[in-house]
Amino acid sequence: MSFASKVIAACALMILLGIGVLSFRSTLRDERDREWVTHTHVVVESLEEILIDINQAETGQRGYILTGDADYRKPFEEGTQNVHRDIEKFRELTTDNPSQQEAARRLQPLIAARLAGLVERMEIRSRSGLVAASRAVASGNNGEELMEKIRERVGEMRETEDRLLRIRLEEASASSQRMKTVIVVGNAVGIFILLLAGFVIHRETGRRNLAEQNLMHINERLERRTLELSETNHELESFSYSVAHDLRAPLRQIAGYSNLLNRDYGPKLDAEMQRYLHKIEEGAAKMGRLVDDLLSLSKIGRQQLSLEATPLDSLLRQAVDELAPECSGREVEWRIGGLFSTECDAGLMKQVFVNLLSNAVKYTRKREHAVIEVGQMRQNDTRVIFVRDNGAGFEMQYVGKLFGVFQRLHKARDFEGTGVGLAIVQRIIRKHGGDIWAEAELDQGATFYFTLGWPQNDAKKSNTNGKPESAITNEVYSVARS
Amino acid sequence: MSHEVEILLVDDSPEDVELTIIALRRNNLSNDIQVAEDGAEALDFLFCRGPHKDRSFSHPPKLVLLDLKLPKVDGLEVLRAIRADERTKAIPVVILTSSKEQRDLIDGYNLGVSAYIQKPVDFDQFSETIRQVGMFWLLINQAPPAGAFVARKARGV
Repeated sequence: MSFASKVIAACALMILLGIGVLSFRSTLRDERDREWVTHTHVVVESLEEILIDINQAETGQRGYILTGDADYRKPFEEGTQNVHRDIEKFRELTTDNPSQQEAARRLQPLIAARLAGLVERMEIRSRSGLVAASRAVASGNNGEELMEKIRERVGEMRETEDRLLRIRLEEASASSQRMKTVIVVGNAVGIFILLLAGFVIHRETGRRNLAEQNLMHINERLERRTLELSETNHELESFSYSVAHDLRAPLRQIAGYSNLLNRDYGPKLDAEMQRYLHKIEEGAAKMGRLVDDLLSLSKIGRQQLSLEATPLDSLLRQAVDELAPECSGREVEWRIGGLFSTECDAGLMKQVFVNLLSNAVKYTRKREHAVIEVGQMRQNDTRVIFVRDNGAGFEMQYVGKLFGVFQRLHKARDFEGTGVGLAIVQRIIRKHGGDIWAEAELDQGATFYFTLGWPQNDAKKSNTNGKPESAITNEVYSVARS
Repeated sequence: MSHEVEILLVDDSPEDVELTIIALRRNNLSNDIQVAEDGAEALDFLFCRGPHKDRSFSHPPKLVLLDLKLPKVDGLEVLRAIRADERTKAIPVVILTSSKEQRDLIDGYNLGVSAYIQKPVDFDQFSETIRQVGMFWLLINQAPPAGAFVARKARGV
């Protein structure tokens, strides 16, 4: 998923969450508004009931005055009780509204006065009879006046509540409108985000398909190239093999006939003729070695490694033993340190040691006391094997040519050789996933370092200028003299 | 029939033939050598046909020195024909060639070659190799009794 689509997905999630919270809050608010409306209705109802209670009390009084029947005192008493109860109820319902509380407080003495008036006339009736009571009613004192005031007050209170009800109804309708808006807009946004997500996914899928197709094309091209390369490589190897191979036949003739000429007619040739003939034989022999080395180089290129766990120690010893004839008559000191065991092609690895050691033997030829040292050291967690001699060495400026085929850093007059040995060594080391490099100084000897196995880091060459002796794991050398 | 042929040398290079004969002669192994310059000539000789139709299967050469790269019929084809026929399959065949190609070695041994030798470039080494091969197959090795395989063929095996 691209960065852009991650951002879009995060935004979509935020927006949907926001819509959810808003909807929830609108619902809560709507519910509260409705409760308030209901509450107002209850308040209005309690006001109505106060008036009804007073009327009931008055009706009871009137009945008693007319009949003198004590039964009529009962509705009067109920009305009186109820009016107190309902006023109390009203006060409780309007605790949040100081103006209504005040109005209720002012209403109470009026009601009390009205009720007191009713009680007084009922007492006149019971004391002085109907006529006196009727007169008292007719004289009217201030009963009707009081009742008018009460109605007025209650009407005002009701108006207040009606005003509140209107406000609350408006609020409820506004919040319900808001809720509708939130739901509609929220759903619209949600749908839009879904569409956007669908579009983004579609586009990403398209892109991915395209990328996959591209990758497939690239892979195909790569496979084709690899095939071409391996074919070319194979052709080159076959070519160099057949060249080397076909060169041997005429070479054998040159060597054979010059040998016969020397043997059969040598005595008849003068010194100069014999020297020429000797040069021909030397040339043929050298070319023979070149061709043989080329053949083994091309063979290594084509050969499959047969890997097995191998103690490098034993390969090293075999190589030293093989070189014994070349060391005869010379003073060569071998300093052999312990080497590790590893998975490798034993035959090829032995050739690595033979080539490196025979180089060391060759280039120390002019030393009275040759010292050849082989050991292992550790460099940045990689095991490095080194082969050091105190021989002719070379100038470091030519180190780049060291492992090239037919590259030589010494005159043939000083040290013979075909210039293939180190190329073979490098090819074998590389086939084992290792690396080889060298350090030397002219006339001060040379040191070859190599690793085996694919490197875990690339920094292994960074430290070779230090003194590798300090890192030698096996400090004890076995010293042999040839 | 003048004499029994001891070695059939199959090689298309006159120089190689000459050097081989000189090496054999140097080592006193040059009594009876027949040279074939290509595979077809070699097969004519071995199967007693064409110019060699008067030869008899009962006196095969004691050794065939066979090069691989030959005109017309190559060395491995010649070897295949020799090993495929009841009358010639017991003849020792030594491949003597410039090639040390693994493919050739494997094919040679698959077809039942008796030995496989790469010709050394150095003439002294070449001569020594020829001496050892000649000594072994002509003097040390016991060939089957004359006519043994021909007789079997006659009995219809």
